[in-house]
Amino acid sequence: MQEGTSARQEIALRTDGRGRRPDSARLRRLNILVGALSLPLFIGLWELVSRSGAVNMVLFPPPTVVAAAVLEWIRSGQFLGDLLASLFRVTTGFIVGGLLGILLGILTGQFPVVSSLLSPLFHILRPIPPIAFVPIVILWFGLSEAGKLFLVVWGVFFTVWLSTHIGVQKVDRGLIRAALMLGTPRRQMLQEIVLLGALPYIVVGLRTAVSISFYTLVAAELAGAFAGIVYRIEIAQQNLQTGQVMGGLAALGLISFAADRLFSALAERTVWWR
Amino acid sequence: MKLALASAPASVESARKQPAIQVSNLSIVFDTRRGQTIAVDRVSFDVAPGEFICIVGPSGCGKSTVLNTIAGLEVPFEGDILVEGSRVYSPRPDVGMVFQQPHLFPWKSVRRNIAHGPRMLGKSRTEANAIADDLIAMVGLKRFADAYPNTLSGGMQQRVAIARALANQPRVLLMDEPFGALDAQTRAVMQDNLLELRDRIKATIVFVTHDIDEAIVLADRVLIMSAGPGRILREVAVKLPRPRSNSVMVEPTYLSLKKDCLDVIRAEGLRAFNQSDAS
Ligand SMILES: Nc1ncnc2c1ncn2[C@@H]1O[C@H](COP(=O)(O)OP(=O)(O)O)[C@@H](O)[C@H]1O
Ligand SMILES: [Mg+2]
Repeated sequence: MQEGTSARQEIALRTDGRGRRPDSARLRRLNILVGALSLPLFIGLWELVSRSGAVNMVLFPPPTVVAAAVLEWIRSGQFLGDLLASLFRVTTGFIVGGLLGILLGILTGQFPVVSSLLSPLFHILRPIPPIAFVPIVILWFGLSEAGKLFLVVWGVFFTVWLSTHIGVQKVDRGLIRAALMLGTPRRQMLQEIVLLGALPYIVVGLRTAVSISFYTLVAAELAGAFAGIVYRIEIAQQNLQTGQVMGGLAALGLISFAADRLFSALAERTVWWR
Repeated sequence: MKLALASAPASVESARKQPAIQVSNLSIVFDTRRGQTIAVDRVSFDVAPGEFICIVGPSGCGKSTVLNTIAGLEVPFEGDILVEGSRVYSPRPDVGMVFQQPHLFPWKSVRRNIAHGPRMLGKSRTEANAIADDLIAMVGLKRFADAYPNTLSGGMQQRVAIARALANQPRVLLMDEPFGALDAQTRAVMQDNLLELRDRIKATIVFVTHDIDEAIVLADRVLIMSAGPGRILREVAVKLPRPRSNSVMVEPTYLSLKKDCLDVIRAEGLRAFNQSDAS
């Protein structure tokens, strides 16, 4: 008891009483302050530069003009329609591409015959940037929604397939042997050992696919659409509404940031044993 | 819930008639890039029901290969393996295995890991959990029943692995250097735990190690193997009293047994050295 008390006093003496060194606490406060100032500083500087006359205000509008354009976009009711159209494409494409990727990744990872059949084909198709498929997608699907989904699914699928395939192959052989010794039948082996063993890889693949789905969304909407965030950016550009263009970019950035955060929060819960 | 307490007196009679494990003329050949290598060369031995044997030998001499073949994870190139009188083709639930690494399912709690085997054999979740809880108490991990493997120490993980292997009440328990990755103190404790456990479960145990002390402390009989290709050099009966603990290591009988084993190993080492010199 004696010893414990004196040790605690010792620590209290050398730190700020909360178990930290005083200078480290001061540094931390400074970092939080600087972090809070980062965005306001940047926006203020932008406003000053825009209005200084050094640049063309039509091509480089200040944040206040961008904000007004965004407010008008929201008030007109177009924003909601654009947001829903884009979100629908991204989420549907992500879910369909992700599920296909997981399914085929398990098949090619687990069964060498399926892998021999499909892997060479997938490895040839995978490196082609999805944007390169825009022309043929327009030929096949015209400006329909199906063509846009195709592009997103295509982009998501290969990433998720490859990470699932690798994940399944990297499942610890020792776990499989242990499960075999305990009488695990084939089906449970796939569900309980292989799928869960590959899960961390699958989750990483899906997370990469979140940003890929936004990137293919841009290609899909630029190829021609009737609503959508990127579609709105393109229209605004044609009308030289630079404020609206920048507002659209900011909206796209915010949405994909939110999607990534949401997904990483979900991912943390998916791999629950970590 | 009672664990398989094989009725001792009755099975002693049948033990004479039928060994728990019969390995006859077992050879195992691996295809490698440089052609075929003989990993195990005409190995034969029997293990009586309830007997505890240890296989010792230098690393690479084929100990794991022999054990994996008894487990049905490896196929014999030549020869036969019978467990409880029937030929081994593939892993079977009456043969349990503990590996050098615990290989616990990281996504399952301690209880679920141990309950896995009974679940796979068709027991209900309630039954399987009851079996698991009995074994958890037996290996002294009650406080950790709901913990995940990555939160346990190496010794605790290996205790879970042993409990998991016992959950299907195997007639034969195979252990491949299960304490090899543990520090000396933990290893000594685990050896005592295993000796205690063994008196309660009465399964036939084949335990592989490269540590002669460990082999003599644990076994009724020690098989000494030599490398290149793997063969059995000598069998040494360990006539130390049971119940036994790690502390037998200071007794004169123990020391003379150890000397016998070391002599065999030294002679073989010398022979192998001279042979490699000549060729
Ligand atoms: N799957 C395998 N393929 C090729 N050679 C193997 C394989 N498994 C084991 N061997 C070889 O067989 C010999 C015996 O290995 P092993 O049984 O693991 O030895 P031990 O367990 O005694 O250390 C070694 O020479 C090893 O290289
Ligand atoms: Mg080995």
